[in-house]
Amino acid sequence: MTDQSAPGDVIVLDGVTKSYQADAPPAVADLSMGVAAGEVVAVMGPSGSGKSTLLNLIAGLDRPTAGTVTVAGRRIDALGESALARFRARHVGIIFQFFNLLDDLTVEDNVLLPAQLAGASRRQARARADELLVKMGIQDYRNAYPARMSGGQRQRVAIARALVNHPAVLLADEPTGALDTATGQQIGQLLQQLNEGGQTLVLVTHDPGLADRYAARTVRIVDGRLAGAHARVSQ
Amino acid sequence: MLRHKVQMLVLAMVLLVSTASATLGLALLAANNGPFTHAFAAQDGASLTVTVDQARAGAAQLAATRNLHGVTAAAGPFAEATVQSQFAGQPFGQLTLAGRADPGGRVDDVVLNAGHWVTGPGQVVLNSTPGDGGPVLGNTITATGLPHAQTLTVVGFASSITNTADGWVAPAEVPALQSPGVAPSEQMLYRFATAGTDAQVRADLAEVTGALPPGTVTGAGSWLAAESQNTSNGAIMEPFVVAFALIGLAMAVLIVANVVSGAVSAGYYRIGVLKSIGLTPAQVAVAYLSRVGLPAVAGCVAGVVAGNLLAIPVLHQSAEAYGVGSQQVPLWASVLAPAGMLALTALAALGPALRAGRLSATQAIAAGRAPNAGRGYGAYRLAARLRLPRPIGMGLAAPFARPGRTLVSLAAIAFGATAVIFAFGLSASLGRAASIQTLATVPVQIQPDGPGTGSGPYQLPSAAQDSSVTAALRAQPGTAREVEVYENQVKVTGVAGSANAWAFNGDSSWIGYGVIAGHWYDAPGQVDVNTAFLSASGLSIGDLTTVDTGTTQVSVRIVGEVFHPSSTPTLYASTQTLPGFATPANVLEWDVAVRSGTGTAGYVQAVNSALGGNSPWAATTQHQGGKFYAIADTLVGLLALMVAVAAGLGVLNTVLMTTRDRVHDLGIFKALGMRPGQVLTMVMCWIIGPAVLAAAIAAPVAMALNTATVHAMAGTAHTGVPASITDVFPPSRLALLSLAALAIAAAGALAPASWAARARPAVALRTE
Repeated sequence: MTDQSAPGDVIVLDGVTKSYQADAPPAVADLSMGVAAGEVVAVMGPSGSGKSTLLNLIAGLDRPTAGTVTVAGRRIDALGESALARFRARHVGIIFQFFNLLDDLTVEDNVLLPAQLAGASRRQARARADELLVKMGIQDYRNAYPARMSGGQRQRVAIARALVNHPAVLLADEPTGALDTATGQQIGQLLQQLNEGGQTLVLVTHDPGLADRYAARTVRIVDGRLAGAHARVSQ
Repeated sequence: MLRHKVQMLVLAMVLLVSTASATLGLALLAANNGPFTHAFAAQDGASLTVTVDQARAGAAQLAATRNLHGVTAAAGPFAEATVQSQFAGQPFGQLTLAGRADPGGRVDDVVLNAGHWVTGPGQVVLNSTPGDGGPVLGNTITATGLPHAQTLTVVGFASSITNTADGWVAPAEVPALQSPGVAPSEQMLYRFATAGTDAQVRADLAEVTGALPPGTVTGAGSWLAAESQNTSNGAIMEPFVVAFALIGLAMAVLIVANVVSGAVSAGYYRIGVLKSIGLTPAQVAVAYLSRVGLPAVAGCVAGVVAGNLLAIPVLHQSAEAYGVGSQQVPLWASVLAPAGMLALTALAALGPALRAGRLSATQAIAAGRAPNAGRGYGAYRLAARLRLPRPIGMGLAAPFARPGRTLVSLAAIAFGATAVIFAFGLSASLGRAASIQTLATVPVQIQPDGPGTGSGPYQLPSAAQDSSVTAALRAQPGTAREVEVYENQVKVTGVAGSANAWAFNGDSSWIGYGVIAGHWYDAPGQVDVNTAFLSASGLSIGDLTTVDTGTTQVSVRIVGEVFHPSSTPTLYASTQTLPGFATPANVLEWDVAVRSGTGTAGYVQAVNSALGGNSPWAATTQHQGGKFYAIADTLVGLLALMVAVAAGLGVLNTVLMTTRDRVHDLGIFKALGMRPGQVLTMVMCWIIGPAVLAAAIAAPVAMALNTATVHAMAGTAHTGVPASITDVFPPSRLALLSLAALAIAAAGALAPASWAARARPAVALRTE
């Protein structure tokens, strides 16, 4: 089953299959879909359905066994490791369920890191980091270490880090999964604000409420295949 | 899982190298622990070699000497002849050839190193080793100076611990080799119950002399002379073998402890699983000891085999030097080295294994999954402020997160770099010592090559024959410098017994004796002396003393101490300083330097042509380097390589453990866009900081170790050391050698850094 892509989509998957073992069913099977620029798509499905694998394929963290993955107009499934890393740094922002912050770097250094890896100038990177820290409401924590912050604060740091290079797409893997309900709602609203600013967002979640509230479209995956898709009628 | 396998492989490799190194070290220490004494006992060396006049000594009288008081064994009489010889048309020196039907016997059990013993006339077994420009098996040497020149085919090479002869021929061959007009002689070989001192040996000789008709004994040789000559070479190796053994042992302890504890810690998750299915703490501890047990045993067994294999060529060289046949690694060394390393491994594993046993199942699983809490936040913050590429900054800060592990890496690199720098330094020092000792500036020497026409029983060269040498040398266009050298015993006030004196007729400053202190003599009345002279006399540079040459007494001032590894007090002066010393009887040789562009071989041939075939003198080329220096160089290289390899493996292990600890962080870095090259750079930088510090530590330590070792070696050779021998580390060379630390670190870190760089980000993020 496919969820047809349209010309101009910022993410296009065409017949993508990902197998980890030759004699096991593929984690993602012959999946095609597209995500339009500025769209919020929620990817839902049971545990082990292939949601995170799909996200990894879009992020270029993993390579498909078959099919093509095009992000921001570039086929990333054929890129070498270095080119793929460079692509990730410049065009993709990733938010993880468990934040994946580097505990030995300060908040500011965590946020600056992708910009520095992408070769941004110090002044530009710092200005962008300052802007994001303010936007996320964590400017007072710039010199703090993540381990001493709350889950919500950490996820805000992770979002700031994901946005520092103005990525074409923002990928969020269970962004509220490790947070309490109230904090989860705050993070959801934050993501919604980003989308309102034009940010394309792919959201992997177990939470139907999160998908309903913030995604324009929900894609369901079961056993690595698209099981259905629907667009939200109104936001 | 692959990482765990690699860690076990590293453990096995470190133990292999450590055990091999320990086995080799112990074998060398054993081989160098009184090699002459061992060889003397093994070969039933002769305490006393007595040469007798065959015409005066009756067979019964000689046989009776076997039963003299104190004689424990005797061999002989063996007929002997002293001949001048030639090899490949060149003078081959004077040879004393003894007639022996077989090499064995109760005294002087000669060891055959190559070929076979003489089976008939026309054959000779030489007391030397094949090659080095000399004859090899099947070559012929010619005994000259006889009515009919005798050609002898070299059928074997053997060694006599006390050098009772230069070669052996069939007993029936000897009469044909004895010069007409020279009384035929025989040798008797004795072992005495008491022969530990010169006085005892003199007493033993008096016993033999007294039992024979007067004038029968025409010469004698004491085993103590051979011992004195050989022991310094053997003992001289001990300091650096000990130095390397200590470095290797300290590093092995460090690395093995680190590898083993790391391997056990890496298995915490598995420990938790084992506990959750019902294993008791004791069973878990045993399971973990056995987890490192297999690679440890495999490494130690392979190590002892490798150590034995490596020891064979080295011990063979040593065996040739001491003439004890093929030495083998002692059994106790082959047992002690692996047993020690295994004990060390068990000790290192015991702590973590017991700790693993005490952990609850959930604690173990949690400890195995979660990376250890890091430190060094300040370092990361500082690195972030530096204007360095981010991967480099973070790589340089990483060591501060695990200071204990960093110290282990630093120590391993420092030990390895110290060994490498020390090895290069020692090799350079030994090279300079060899160059000085063998007078590298003197490529050609004119040495005795047959009887002269002088008066007296020894047919020494006459003054006219000596003058013809000087004339021939000065006539050669290739001669740059030449000086006639005289040698004889002298009496010196303050020196018990005799001292050796060398007198030079002409400018000798170019010869290149290594001056330890003071200066080379530059005026009549001045002498230089060796360290043994100063030790024996208690005199110092600047002191006056009196030299009695036998014909005259002169007062001389000591102006310099020169490098001459010998226990014999020796002085050096001009012939003007020692009047009456420059006689034909005292001429030792001519030292010759050739002009630039002059080929040594052609020059030697030209000089010998000019001297003619009947001259008692012949030109020979000076061979640089000695057997001792070759053995020492091989050993130094081998030991340094082993230590460096072990250090590299130590680095590999610590970087591997760190990549394992930080695999999740590596996944994050990659997810954020860190390229493989940047990951490689970052991981390499983890170890570069400690490597730079290790280089800074290793350089001065290696310099100090080299100086101390060279002085210790020189001490055993009864000599001081010129500064030129220890000044082998100019800043540029030291800087270059210090790169060894970086090379060891890079070599050790490269594999895990490459693995980290190649790891797929999704895999790294999943792996904990």
